[in-house]
Amino acid sequence: MAFALRRLVFYLVAAWFAITLNFAIPRMMPGDPATTIFARFQGRLAPEALDALKASFGLTDAPLLTQYGTYLGHLFTGDLGLSVAYFPSPVSEVIGTGLGWTLLLAGTAVCFSFALGTLLGVLAAWRRGGRLDAILPPILSFLGAFPYFWLAMAALWLFGYTLGWFPVRHAYGSDLEPGWDLTFLVDVVRHGLLPASTIVLVTLGGWMLSMRNTMLGVLGGESILYARARGLAPRTIMWRYAARNALLPSVTSFGMALGFVLGGSLLTEIVFAYPGQGYLLLQAVRTQDYPLMQGIFLAITLAVLAANWIVDVVTMMLDPRIR
Amino acid sequence: MTTAAAPLLSVRDLVVEYIDAAGDVRILDALSLDVYPGEILGLAGESGCGKSTLAFAILRLLRPPAVIRGGSVHFAGQDLLAMPEDALRALRWRDISIVFQSAMDALNPVLTVGEHFEDTFRAHGRPAEAGRARARELMTLVDLDPVNLRSFPHQLSGGMRQRVGIALALALEPRLVILDEPTTALDVVVQRAILEKLVSLRARLGFAMVFITHDLPLMLELADRIGVLYAGRLAELAPTAALAAHPGHPYTRGLLHAFPSLHGSLSEVRAIEGTPPSLRSPPTGCRFHPRCPAATAACVAENPAVRALAPGHLVACHHAGEAAR
Amino acid sequence: MRAGAALVASALGRSGPARVGAGLLFFFVLVALVGPLLVADPTEMLARPLLPPGADHWFGTTGQGQDVLAQTVVGTRMSLFVGLATGLLVTALGALVGVTAGYFGGRVDDALSLLVNVFLVLPGLPLAIVLAAWLPPGPLSIVAVLTLTGWAWTARVLRAQTLSLRHKDFVAAAVVSGEGHARIMLREILPNMTSLWVSCAVGTATYAIGASVGLEFLGLGDVSRVTWGTNLYWATNDAALLTGSWWTFVPTGLCLALVGFGLTLLNYGLDELTNPRLGVDRAWRRALKAAGRTPGDSTPYLPPAEGGR
Repeated sequence: MAFALRRLVFYLVAAWFAITLNFAIPRMMPGDPATTIFARFQGRLAPEALDALKASFGLTDAPLLTQYGTYLGHLFTGDLGLSVAYFPSPVSEVIGTGLGWTLLLAGTAVCFSFALGTLLGVLAAWRRGGRLDAILPPILSFLGAFPYFWLAMAALWLFGYTLGWFPVRHAYGSDLEPGWDLTFLVDVVRHGLLPASTIVLVTLGGWMLSMRNTMLGVLGGESILYARARGLAPRTIMWRYAARNALLPSVTSFGMALGFVLGGSLLTEIVFAYPGQGYLLLQAVRTQDYPLMQGIFLAITLAVLAANWIVDVVTMMLDPRIR
Repeated sequence: MTTAAAPLLSVRDLVVEYIDAAGDVRILDALSLDVYPGEILGLAGESGCGKSTLAFAILRLLRPPAVIRGGSVHFAGQDLLAMPEDALRALRWRDISIVFQSAMDALNPVLTVGEHFEDTFRAHGRPAEAGRARARELMTLVDLDPVNLRSFPHQLSGGMRQRVGIALALALEPRLVILDEPTTALDVVVQRAILEKLVSLRARLGFAMVFITHDLPLMLELADRIGVLYAGRLAELAPTAALAAHPGHPYTRGLLHAFPSLHGSLSEVRAIEGTPPSLRSPPTGCRFHPRCPAATAACVAENPAVRALAPGHLVACHHAGEAAR
Repeated sequence: MRAGAALVASALGRSGPARVGAGLLFFFVLVALVGPLLVADPTEMLARPLLPPGADHWFGTTGQGQDVLAQTVVGTRMSLFVGLATGLLVTALGALVGVTAGYFGGRVDDALSLLVNVFLVLPGLPLAIVLAAWLPPGPLSIVAVLTLTGWAWTARVLRAQTLSLRHKDFVAAAVVSGEGHARIMLREILPNMTSLWVSCAVGTATYAIGASVGLEFLGLGDVSRVTWGTNLYWATNDAALLTGSWWTFVPTGLCLALVGFGLTLLNYGLDELTNPRLGVDRAWRRALKAAGRTPGDSTPYLPPAEGGR
C-alpha cells in the first residue's frame, strides 16, 4: 500500500508541474503573451472575446505570483477560461464533450493492442526463430514506422471512400440521437472500428517486440531452467513462469508509452473527424484558441497521470516484491 | 563404499559442444564417469572446467548453443540421449533433481514457496491434497517452519532459500540429487549446517549425490569419491582417501596445495600458476601441460588416456605413478 | 562521436537488417542532398491540379497543381534535418542530465531523477503542440519543441548505465588520480556507453521525424515551406480523401515509413551487437536445421556425422 501511496504523491507532483508549466509557457515565450495574442487576433475577434481571452490567462499587470494564485484558484473551481473557437462556451465544457470519445477510442485501441501485442510477443519468444517470430516483427515494425495519422488516412481512403465498407467520419451517424439503445451502440462500434484498427496496427509491433525481448530475457534466466529441471510442462513454464514474469516490466513500459500513444491517437481522431480531444485540438490550433489548447493539454495530462497510477497499482498487485 | 553394485548413472565419452559461427567450442571432451547408488561423488575443478556443464548435460538441460556431440548417458539402464521429450520430462526431478547454486535466482519471484511445490507435484501427476501435506513434511525435514510455504522467495533469508531448494529437490524422492555449488553464496556457519543436514538426509533417504564445488577441503570431508575436471576433460577420479593421499595428477596436487590444510599454516598455500586454457583453442596433447611443472615432450604431443593407477583410481597423466611422492 | 561511428560500422558488418536499414537511410540522405537539384520547383503551379501519376508528372500533381515528386524529394531534406538535429540535441541534453544525475548521485540525482520521471509521464505530443503554438512556426521551433519534450527517456537510460559504471575500477581510478568531474564524465563514462547513446540518438531521430510530421500536419509548422509534414497538411486541406487523389499523400507516407523503418533496422543491428545473447543461437539453429531437426526443449543429441559441418 505504501507503494501505491508513494506513486500517488509522485503523480500529484507531476500534475502540479504540468499545471505550472501550463501557466508558465505563455509567459516564457518570446515577447509579451498579451501582445502576441492581440496581434494574432486583431480584427478577427469581438472585443468582448478579446477581453475574455485576456481574462482567461489572468494576464494582468499584477505580479507573477498573484497571477499564479489567481490561475490556481480558477483551476480548482474548474474554470479554464472561455474558448475562442466555441465562444462563449467555457473551455471545461468544450473539453467535456470530447473526453469521453477520446477515452473510448484510444482506451479501447490501446488496451486491445497491448493485449494482442503481448500475446504475440509471448508466442514469438517461446518459438524463437519460428515462423511467427520470423515473419511478424519486420512487418509490424514497418507498419509501426508510419505516422498514426497517415495510416489512418490510407485506411480511410481505401476502406472508407474507395470500398465503402466503413463510415468515413464522426463517431456515429448524423441521423442518430445519442442514447444507450442498441442501434446507436452498434453504430458507434461501426464508426470506431476503422480508426481503432489503425491505432492497433501502428502500435502492435512495439508491444510485440518489447514483450518478445523481455520474455527472451526471462527465458534465459535461472528460474526457467529450474522449472524445466523440475519437469514442469512446457505450457506451465511458458505462461506461469515466463510470460507472467515478463509481463511486469511490460506493464511498466505500457504506462510510460501511454502518453505517447495517446498523442498519436489524437491525430487519428483528426483524420476521421472523430469528435474527441484530437478534433478539438485541431480546431484550437486552426483558430489559435490558446485557452482550449492548454485546457486540452491539462485534461490529457491528468488522464495520462491517472492511467499511469492505475497501471502502477496493477503492477503492484502482480508483483509480490513491491506489494 | 561398495563399487560392486551396478552404477546408477553411467556417462561414457560424453562430448558437449557450443555451436558458434566462428567454430564450435568443445566444452566436454570424451568424459566418462559412474555414479553408484547412495554414494556422494564430488566434482572439483576451476570454474569453466565443465563440472556444471556435465551436471546439466546429464539432464539434457543445457541451453542453446549447446549440443551433445557424442557419447552416452545411462540412468538405471535407460539411455537418456535417446529418450523422447515426454519421458525425459517425467524422469527429471522424479529420478534426478538439482539444487541450484542460487535459489534466489532459481525460484520464481512471483510465486510462493508453496506454489513451487504444487507445480512440481502437479507436473508429476501427484494429487494436490497429498502434495500439500508432503510439502509441509519436506519443510520440516530441512528444519523450516511450514508457514514459510506461504512466503515469497524474497521474504526468506539466503540460508532459508537454499533449504527450500533442498526440500524441493527431495520432493519426489529422487535416486540422484545433483548439488551445483549449493552453498557457495552462504556464510560458513549456515553452509555447514546445511551440508550436515544434507549428509544426514542422505543417510536416511539413501539417494546418491553429485556434489559440485570448488571448495576442495569441504569435498574431502563429504565425498566418497572425487572427480577432478580440467578444461573439459577428466583429470583424475578416485576414492577420497586415495586422492588425498596419493594424487596421481599434477593438477590434483596443485588443487590440494591451493588450499590451506586445517592444521597447516597459510604460508603453505601454493596456487597453480597460470590460468585455465581457452576452450576455443585448447593446448595440444595434455591440456594441462602449459601449467604443469612436470610436463615433457610427450605431454605436448599426445593427450594422455585415462588409466587405472590402482583399482578405482583413474588418472589421465603420462607420468602418473612414475614419481609418486 | 567517432566511437559512435565505429560502432555503427561494426553493426553494419555483422547484421543483415542493419545493412538494409543503412542502405535505406543512405538512399534518403542522397535524395535530400542532391534530389532537390534534379526536380522541378515544388512550390510552382506546373500543371492542372490533381493530375494522377503519369508520364509528365510521375507522382501526379497536388491540389495546387504542384509536382508531387518534387515535393516529396524536397521535403526529405527538412524532415531528415529535423530528425538529425533533434536526435543530436536530445542525446546531448539527455546525456548531460542523465550522466550528471548518475555520476553525482545523492540529492543531485534525486532532483534530476524527479524531473526526468515527471517529463516521462507527461504526454509529449499535447505538450509539444502547446509549445509549438506559442513559438514562431518553422523547423527550428519544431526541433526546440521536440527536444524539450523528448529528452527524458535518453536521460533515464543513460542515468541507469552511469550508475552501474560509477563504481567500476576505471572510474574510481580516475577519481583518485584527481581528474575533474566533467573530464571523467566526458572521457571515462560516456565513451563506455557508446552503444547506448547511439541507440538512443537513433531512436530519438525516429521519434522526431514522426512527431515533426504530426505537428506540421496539424498546421503548427511553417506551411509555406515544403516538408513531408506540410505535404500531408496540404493534402488534407485540399481534400485528398474526398477527391480520391491518393497520390498526394501516399509517396510522402511511404518515404516516411521507409526512413523510420531504416532507423529501426539500424537500431536492431546495434542491439544485436551490444546484446550478443540475441544472436547467439543462430548458428545453433542452423546446425539443427541442417540435420533436419527442430529445436526442442532438451539439449539435442547431434553426432557430428549428422550435424555435417
